[in-house]
Amino acid sequence: MTPWNPGEDVIAVQRGPEPGGAGGAYRSFGETLRGLKTTFARVIEGTNTIQYPEEKVPVYPRFRGRHKLHRFEDTGLEKCVGCSLCAAACPSDCIRVVASENDPENRVSAGERYAAVYEINLSRCIFCGYCEIACPFDAITMGHDYEMSDYNRSDLIFTKEMLLAEPIDRTPLRNEGE
Amino acid sequence: MDPVSKVSDYRKLEESVTLSTVEGPLGASGSDGASTELFTLNMGPHHPATHGVLRLLVTLEGEVVRDLKPIIGYLHTGIEKTAETKSYWKVIPVIERMDYLAYFFNSMAYCGAVETLLEVEVPKRAQYLRVIHMELNRIMSHLVWLGTAALDLGAMSMFWYCFRERETILDLFEQSTGQRMHTRYFQIGGVIEDIPVGFAAKLKYLTDEMPRRITQYEALLTKNEIVLQRLRNVGVVDEKTLLGLGVTGPLLRATGNPWDLRKAAPYCSYDDFDFKIPVGTVGDNYDRYRVRTAEMRESVKIIEQAMEGLPEGPHITEDRKIALPPRHELATSMEALIHHFKLVTEGFRVPAGEAYHPIESPRGELGCFVRSDGSSKPARVHMRDPSFVNLQSLSTMVEGSYIADLIATLAMLDPIIGGVDR
Repeated sequence: MTPWNPGEDVIAVQRGPEPGGAGGAYRSFGETLRGLKTTFARVIEGTNTIQYPEEKVPVYPRFRGRHKLHRFEDTGLEKCVGCSLCAAACPSDCIRVVASENDPENRVSAGERYAAVYEINLSRCIFCGYCEIACPFDAITMGHDYEMSDYNRSDLIFTKEMLLAEPIDRTPLRNEGE
Repeated sequence: MDPVSKVSDYRKLEESVTLSTVEGPLGASGSDGASTELFTLNMGPHHPATHGVLRLLVTLEGEVVRDLKPIIGYLHTGIEKTAETKSYWKVIPVIERMDYLAYFFNSMAYCGAVETLLEVEVPKRAQYLRVIHMELNRIMSHLVWLGTAALDLGAMSMFWYCFRERETILDLFEQSTGQRMHTRYFQIGGVIEDIPVGFAAKLKYLTDEMPRRITQYEALLTKNEIVLQRLRNVGVVDEKTLLGLGVTGPLLRATGNPWDLRKAAPYCSYDDFDFKIPVGTVGDNYDRYRVRTAEMRESVKIIEQAMEGLPEGPHITEDRKIALPPRHELATSMEALIHHFKLVTEGFRVPAGEAYHPIESPRGELGCFVRSDGSSKPARVHMRDPSFVNLQSLSTMVEGSYIADLIATLAMLDPIIGGVDR
């Protein structure tokens, strides 16, 4: 079998000089100086780091952070109807939904049923955003919070109330196209 | 022997060891009086120079490596088995987490295999978007390699420079896909979303900037005497041995064999682009370094061409049996809602059969084998990960060389332990 021939599409990389010898003695100074020139020229470019806890990196609109559950703005009813589609879509099985029938006198959601229990185990979540894609009612979306560390694993199981509440500290957000 | 006495025997042995100087160590001394005693050193698993949790059992004679055995499995995640329990689209975010520096490649190999089984046509725009993201990923992966490999040789500033550019690329990933790593951007039949407004401008900035940056890296490293002394003629393995071991990627190309799947078996519209395959001559660490930096330049060229020729059209297949319907249809079309429920809860069924889809990852041939039994979950998913295969060549590379060169060679090999152990 003849080996595959790529034809003109190959370029050979340069071999570089043999180390040591007179050339090596020159390079110990010459090339080191060139390297130093490269590094010192970077000084005027300024710093790229930010002072993290005080200064936060703004995230893009598509960024997938901690989940949020939503209510209808006019009626205040929950958008979630407890269909469990998010739990079905979750690859890490971190969402638990227990649905209940709505009481017509005292409605929780706009649909027939509502989520009596809605828990997300954030220590299992991989932030793939499949729940957001799966939800047909836009009831769950991925928010922009990325600071979620805690001291206890049990504190990372977010209940419905926690997911419905506005986050205390808002993450800076970039505009579309910025 | 019962386990209790086994442990107590070991403790007795341990207590018998004294820290006093031993006259004439074990093993015969050579004619010149130098000790020829062999010494077994356990390097890792928690060692910064092993680039992950890799354990190397090294047999030394003085400073010279006589035998090396990589012991793997410390990062075993069972992803291949996990994939068998999930429906096809839910496998994507899981399988991306194997080789954690080449997530777009992992999902591309998997999606490619499933698309072959489904015989689904991927729209041209999706293919170009995939190429853009994969080549960005290749540059990003090579930057991490360059930074950490140079750090192993003592070039600290290289690390910061490489990670600065990597940050720009991760920023682009966040803008277009929503996440910096493990983006689940590639879906079966296309990509999940089109690129956002402003992405093209940022990408243009990067592709303009990147060749200048690579020139700066080369000014620092290429002819530096320390780098030359540490890399040139170190870890030489000839082409035949590497082919016998099944090594692919930049390691094989450094020996002069131009095997690149992007050219040899074009997938994902790679034949539309004009780029070259950089090859080395000898196959030492220096050639590996030159091949990879040259590859970054070629990747920049591919991205520029793909962005320029980005065709209009859908970003995912229109086949409603495979791809989720667009969101705005959910509120108006009952049919779309039914498809949506069906795809999310059960997923699509894939005709029974087997498919292997090899692609060129930053480390070599990354192939995904998928076997379907006709249900909505894959019966078997196996990845041929290049890191795992390439790691086998480490002992042939370093036998007879100094232990300090072992560190340099391991860095130039660029194994990703997440891909080795899977």
